Amino acid sequence: MNKILKLTMILCLVCAIVAGVLGVVNELTYDRIQEQQRIKTEKAYAAVLQSDGYEEVEFDKENFPTIDSINKCTNGAGYVVTTTFSGAQSKLTMAVGVDNEYKCTGISIISHAETAGLGANAASTSEIGVNWRAQFVGEDENVAITKAGGNIDALAGATITSRSVANATGTAISAVKSLG
Amino acid sequence: MNIKKQFKEGLITNNPVLVQLIGMCATMAITTTLFNGVGMGLSVLIILTCCNVAISAIRKIIPNEIRLAIFVVIIAGFVTIVDLLLQAFIPALSSALGVFIPLIVVNCIIIGRAEAFCQKNSVGASFFDGIFQGLGYTLVLIVMCVVREFLGSGKFGGGLIDIANGFRFTLDGTGAGIQLFPADFGASILTLPFGGFLTLGVLIAVMQFALTKSKKKKEMKELAAKAAAKEEER
Repeated sequence: MNKILKLTMILCLVCAIVAGVLGVVNELTYDRIQEQQRIKTEKAYAAVLQSDGYEEVEFDKENFPTIDSINKCTNGAGYVVTTTFSGAQSKLTMAVGVDNEYKCTGISIISHAETAGLGANAASTSEIGVNWRAQFVGEDENVAITKAGGNIDALAGATITSRSVANATGTAISAVKSLG
Repeated sequence: MNIKKQFKEGLITNNPVLVQLIGMCATMAITTTLFNGVGMGLSVLIILTCCNVAISAIRKIIPNEIRLAIFVVIIAGFVTIVDLLLQAFIPALSSALGVFIPLIVVNCIIIGRAEAFCQKNSVGASFFDGIFQGLGYTLVLIVMCVVREFLGSGKFGGGLIDIANGFRFTLDGTGAGIQLFPADFGASILTLPFGGFLTLGVLIAVMQFALTKSKKKKEMKELAAKAAAKEEER
């Protein structure tokens, strides 16, 4: 019995020390990590719809479960919607710019885990990725890939990713429209 | 402790990936660009060295029954520290490697070295073991990245090298790399997980071939020496 008590004590002690060290490191890096995340999101916002500031607005979360937030541009240019949805491999997070005529002004993928060389092209800074995303500019809430009767050419070998990005863009525009 | 021998073991004769065959999951998953490979390799090197030193320092006071639990707690601690630091200071690497940084906790290279080496050896020896095994791991990752990137997309140094405005190293992972031939001619299958298996398999085969050959050479030499000695006796 004594032995078990001793082992438990030692293990607890080790855990406590490690947890203490981690607490200190977290304290030291927390602000910087928040800052980095803010920069990343802001960059994505600015890439889809330029504005001097963004203001989060309320929306119908029940009808649009994939939408994370809708942000109104303070310069009146429109809205930036962030949405998280399923792609081919796992969840994608994307910012969609929507102007006052409910047309897409651009999309920017913030995080993803799509297949390198295929689905990942949707988010890449290469020519393929930039040209592919440019197709979304001017589309309305019925945006779809050509296979589904729309105007978006799917990425070669990445129909599922293309389809889900197109659908998520459509949902984002619908969500803004529902604001009225 | 023989540092030279440890160096040779870590990099070649007892290489963690190619000979011990441990830590292969991340190896196949992340070796798509040189930036990822170097970043992952160095992360593992740092974590491995820290863990080796810490575990070997307390090897005499931890009871045998709960040693694995303690190892895991210590490893998880160091991994989390590195993860937080990467998120704070090299966010590009953190987002490129994604879940594979936290997964270093269960990377068997680290727990494997803790069990096989640090438990029985001094702090100094464990420190060098961490560095050399980490270097061996990094070396394999670099070779795999270079092969897969070149054959898969005709590039070299993706994320790490930028030649758009003169040659420079990009530490934020934005460099496009050097395009050696048009990407359309590349076998893009090599950039997929399948390509990881293929490349790793070939690398292991080459390594085994080289090791067996050098072993045979050694044996032949010994035989020849013995024969010569016999000859002299006569």
